[in-house]
Amino acid sequence: MLIIDASSVCKRVPSGERELTILDKVDLQLAASEALAIVGPSGSGKSTLLGVLAGLDSATEGAVHLLDQPLHDLDEDGRAAVRAGAVGFVFQSFQLLPGLSALENVMLPLELANLPSAKARAQKQLAEVGLENRLNHLPSQLSGGEQQRVAVARAFVSIPKVLFADEPTGNLDRATGDKIVDLMFRLRAEHDTALVLVTHDQSLAGRCDRVLSMAEGRLS
Amino acid sequence: MAGVTSLRRDFGLAFRQLRREFRLSEYLVLIFALVLSVAAVTSVGFFANRVEGAMASQAATLLAADAIVSSPMPVSEAVLEQANAVNLDTADIVEFPSVVLTAEGDTSLVSVKAVAAKYPLRGELKLASELYGQERVASEAPLSGTVWIDPRLAGSLQVAVGDSLSLGDSEVEVAALLAFEPDASASVFQMAPRLMMNIKDLSSSGLLGDGSRARYQLLVAGSNDQVNSFTSWIKESNDPNLRLQTVEEGQPRVQSALVNANRFLGLAAAVAVLLSAAAVALAARQIAERDMNTGSLMRTFGASAHTVVRVVIIRLSIIALAATFIGSLIGYLAQFGLSALLGRWFATELPAATLTPLIGGFSCAVLALVGFCLPSVVRAVDTPVLQVLRRDLPMAKPSMVLAISSALAALGILLIWLTHDWRLGLLLLFGMLLVMLVLTVVSRVLVALSVRVKSSYLRRGLESLRRRPDSVSLQIAAFSVGLLAILLLTIVRNDVLSAWQQQVPDDAPNFFLVNIQPHEVDSMQTFLTARGVTGNSLYPMIRARLESINSTPVGEIEFSNSHSERFAQRDHNLSYLAAPRADNEITKGEWWQTETNETYFSIEEDFASDLNLAIGDQLQFRVADKVVKGEVKNLRKVEWESFAVNFFVVGTPFGLVDKPASFVSSVYVPSDQGSFVRELVSEFGGVTVLEIGTLLERVTGIIDRAALAVQYVFLFTLLAGVLVLWASVLASRRERFREAAILRTLGASRSYLASSATREFALIGFLSGLVASSVAAIIAWLVVERVMGLPYEFNPWLWLIGIGAGVVGVLVAGKLATKPVLNQLPIAVLQSQV
Repeated sequence: MLIIDASSVCKRVPSGERELTILDKVDLQLAASEALAIVGPSGSGKSTLLGVLAGLDSATEGAVHLLDQPLHDLDEDGRAAVRAGAVGFVFQSFQLLPGLSALENVMLPLELANLPSAKARAQKQLAEVGLENRLNHLPSQLSGGEQQRVAVARAFVSIPKVLFADEPTGNLDRATGDKIVDLMFRLRAEHDTALVLVTHDQSLAGRCDRVLSMAEGRLS
Repeated sequence: MAGVTSLRRDFGLAFRQLRREFRLSEYLVLIFALVLSVAAVTSVGFFANRVEGAMASQAATLLAADAIVSSPMPVSEAVLEQANAVNLDTADIVEFPSVVLTAEGDTSLVSVKAVAAKYPLRGELKLASELYGQERVASEAPLSGTVWIDPRLAGSLQVAVGDSLSLGDSEVEVAALLAFEPDASASVFQMAPRLMMNIKDLSSSGLLGDGSRARYQLLVAGSNDQVNSFTSWIKESNDPNLRLQTVEEGQPRVQSALVNANRFLGLAAAVAVLLSAAAVALAARQIAERDMNTGSLMRTFGASAHTVVRVVIIRLSIIALAATFIGSLIGYLAQFGLSALLGRWFATELPAATLTPLIGGFSCAVLALVGFCLPSVVRAVDTPVLQVLRRDLPMAKPSMVLAISSALAALGILLIWLTHDWRLGLLLLFGMLLVMLVLTVVSRVLVALSVRVKSSYLRRGLESLRRRPDSVSLQIAAFSVGLLAILLLTIVRNDVLSAWQQQVPDDAPNFFLVNIQPHEVDSMQTFLTARGVTGNSLYPMIRARLESINSTPVGEIEFSNSHSERFAQRDHNLSYLAAPRADNEITKGEWWQTETNETYFSIEEDFASDLNLAIGDQLQFRVADKVVKGEVKNLRKVEWESFAVNFFVVGTPFGLVDKPASFVSSVYVPSDQGSFVRELVSEFGGVTVLEIGTLLERVTGIIDRAALAVQYVFLFTLLAGVLVLWASVLASRRERFREAAILRTLGASRSYLASSATREFALIGFLSGLVASSVAAIIAWLVVERVMGLPYEFNPWLWLIGIGAGVVGVLVAGKLATKPVLNQLPIAVLQSQV
């Protein structure tokens, strides 16, 4: 089964009087358990592609199937329903909800997907990333590395079929970043999760099964 | 089942988010603003509720009867016979002012109520033997030769039960103190303390003559059928001298005073709600921004738009409930203050409040949230989910049309509900918006002018005004509304009163002498001359009722407003004069020949304009059982502030000299006023002496109390002004954090930043105070010069106090709001998005 099957995906946005092409006829397939890295310079369209593949954004043209669901035929709520419980995310800027504790942030995807025993599973997952003593801390009380570990725990807690990671080490120092990457790859292997990783760090990309380069909206 | 599960989940999410959000400043502002609105609205609501409770539960006892027939002269035998014919219980009452004298020679004005044995027919009269002593129910009227007195009178005259008093020609013994009089609230603003006597003693006391001012009442009680048959007979009899009051009609005077008081308090609460709503709107923008992040993250993890909106609505509902609870609690406690200030207007203890005002409080919170908060917050859903990846994406902005129209609709509903009058509510809505708009424009102009000021000391404060001129103008406008309200009620009110009092010349009359009988006129003149009180005229005064204008009955005339209508229908005091008075200026028409054998009237010009009267109009008055007809011959201007005796309507002696009259005069007694009153009262037992100074004190006392009550509610307004300031500082917080972080990174100390903030807020406070005091001064000037026609001296204290209060208030609120900015480590700000 293909986790992602995208064909001839275009994304154009108006820019002044002209249209700006951000994605230009992109074709991409991702098999179950496969790890794919997309590298490229800033502004090449990597993050936009990640957004379209995850259904966070819609393509102007082309077809995107995520977990066998045609995202291009679904509205925003339909796409959200595909993601619920089956897709994980790790962002460059962590994106934890500031008002919720570490534990509550990790429980969030389980609750939104109406999955059972959210609290116990979240606790277990936080223990797996080494934060069993930080359960009730707020994001503002955690270091950058700890925040990203909470984000990783949140990404894996629902045992997703695919994880989208956007520059996950971009806001961290080298040593902390390496630990996060190790953690992410270990969990991915444990849960057999496919991965789409956007980065401009070549060594990080090298840890994936496949690396695609993006330039001016095209994949190569 | 799935629906219930997701609802439970959404509640869980909403609670969890709220638990921590309660500590965030924007939520605190939102909650405080709602609490304040609810507190303002419910404090007035609970008070009104208690008053209504008192009115409803005691409607019949408030009259002391089932119905009352009142008349300016003794109620006719025919009426009494009719009451007896339908087997009603009856009791006569006569009320009038008089003066009592103690054995020690002290005097006091009293409001005499002479009652028949059966009084009260409904309710109970309670007596006590000493101040605050054990109360007992009176079984019948005071025995002949004895009186019951108000404890106030006992206190001021130092008399106790068993002492005697001179009342008119008779000596009476104080038999008890009045602890509770059921129908006392019939004269809410009754100024003199009560003295109750037996009606049988009235003739021997010599207190009432033919033309004396008194109110005669016949109380009746019986079954519904009996009362209905009697009241319809009275209505059919169409006797213009009779006035009927029933339990259903309640007590119009008390009610209209209360409706007005409640409206006034409601208005004060409305201003607090308006300002709080502005704070809600400001906080809502911050909350919406935060919710947009939360919303897009939730949707990234698979939540539907529906779920996101539901969580938002659940959170807002919890906030509304919490604010209602806390606000109502504060409102409930605050109404005790209102009751303490205004409760003395009521003869009875106010009953406990019911919970109905809670509905009002909750509706107010919900309306403020729905009108001012929901449109921005719900838009959170429309933020692109991709925002989680790309923070540079534009946030969804609520539609201005939707935001403004929902805010206006919410405010409109609130105001109409608070004032119980849709026209007044809408007028207020636009009036308040206009005031806010004008204040904002004025503030904006001031900000534009002040940023040009070249001052190295103020430069850092001015910098902030330059960067955020719109937000600063709004802050100044909001804070000055609160200040303005307080300044108007304190300093301006005193200025207006003292401007008026200063106009009163030193030798203006200080006593009114009322109820002088015709046979006493000569001896009174002699009495006054003997004491050097000269140059005073005694004017005849005749009670009359206006029956028709140009042959159209007054009841059928359409007056331009209800004030004119009431004016036309009330009892009038007519006088007669042969020659014109020097102190009355004829403005239209001519005075009559002194010996004329015609009936003419001279009318005071404001009275003429209220009743739309012109020269040549034919007026018909009823004086007792006679009719007096005549033509309007001239219009006069009267200086009412002179305290000279004056009349709206003066006729020719020919038309009025044979009608029952009493005489009145106003005199200036330069010294030893105590002995003047004592001698006058002992010589002329029936004459009532009114001391103008005491009357004025009582009137200003009532005004003070009412103003204090309104001021009290306006405290909520001032607090709401502080909230608006806090909310707008929060709105610029992110920018402030960033600025502070950069400045500190570049080496600025905390004290440098703190002193910049001090200067900024001191400036805003200064400008708010300046706007508020200047507007207050303009209003004071308009009232004194234009409305009252007196010279107004600008009061420098107005500006000193206004600006001082502005600077202190804004400084405190602003420093509190910016404290977190100063305490933040710069690195934390620069590394994260605060």
